[in-house]
Amino acid sequence: MIDKVKKELDIRFPLLKLVREQHNYLHVKVAKASVVDAVLMARTCLGFTTLQLISTVDRLEDDVFQMTWILENQGACFVLLISADYPRENCIVPSLSQMWPTASTFEREIFEMFGISFPGNPREGEDFLLEGWKDMPPMRRDFETEEYSMRVFGERQPREHLDPRQYVGDIVGEWNTPMGRKRKEDK
Amino acid sequence: MYCNQRPEKPGNKKEFLKKITNMARANSLWVTAYGTGCGAIELRPLYTSRFDMERFGIAMRPTPRQADVLIISGYLATKTLKRVIRVYEQIQDPKYIIALGSCTINGGMYFDSYNTLNVLDKYLPVDVYVMGCMPRPEAVIDGFSLLMQKIKDGRAQGWKHYKENLDYYRENQKKIITDWDLPDYNW
Repeated sequence: MIDKVKKELDIRFPLLKLVREQHNYLHVKVAKASVVDAVLMARTCLGFTTLQLISTVDRLEDDVFQMTWILENQGACFVLLISADYPRENCIVPSLSQMWPTASTFEREIFEMFGISFPGNPREGEDFLLEGWKDMPPMRRDFETEEYSMRVFGERQPREHLDPRQYVGDIVGEWNTPMGRKRKEDK
Repeated sequence: MYCNQRPEKPGNKKEFLKKITNMARANSLWVTAYGTGCGAIELRPLYTSRFDMERFGIAMRPTPRQADVLIISGYLATKTLKRVIRVYEQIQDPKYIIALGSCTINGGMYFDSYNTLNVLDKYLPVDVYVMGCMPRPEAVIDGFSLLMQKIKDGRAQGWKHYKENLDYYRENQKKIITDWDLPDYNW
């Protein structure tokens, strides 16, 4: 199966980059212009008829969103991941909701969590998890979640910070907490 | 169907009547079967034969109209808070709230989350807090016995406080629920 998939993809998409492969798993990266073609080809010619998930990774350092479409060929027990990078500013990604109705739900969630818009999705912009959210999309890595939480929800005053070392002594070892790190720097 | 009338302030009963009604109320606490967070998992053994809370006169009811107690079990998202307010206001007087877990006290491990509130008693009147992450069923039973004692002493007055300070609670609720579409008074 893997040889057939690689051969078919190689012929049609010369800019394709192999990310990772296993006996039942192949992860490829294509140029963003040919994503829809690659997914369509995998569905029609190679039998990847199930869309498992659309996932997004916010690569802030490279200033891109890495979108991944996870497709599965259930007859051959084979999973194909097709990735592409999109710029973070005003990110627009083609919608696959015409091919798989499930994609519409994934795209609504991604729109809410990352602010990526999918033109062509009939239910785009409907509330999914966050109702009436007005701030920056919360799963972007430049969203300051603690600052937001303190500003909107507040905290109980007075809030006491207790160091476990105070109670059990030095047997706890180096704690990977802000307090533990601070103590380490002091030494 | 909603009742748009503003809640009336409860009248005062005679002292001996109060004692009898409080004793009756304390020994037949009926709980709304509604779980908001991970704490709902810890309630399962409490309902069933292992810890068997029916021996204390505590029973589960399928609808808030028949219940006295609302258990906020664990973290509470803003989306859930809207439903919880709706459920709480449908419960007939007198009504009590038990809040489980450190998430309801000061945010717990979700203190910096964008979607879970940190201090519950800004939005709803809490009678008993049970600490722990998550509290074991024994701790929840302890919380229930504390609530029973409070009711017998006539100190579980959260529902009266909610009626008298409705404007304060509504202001806080509307601050975080940005798409407020509940009626102003819905008992």
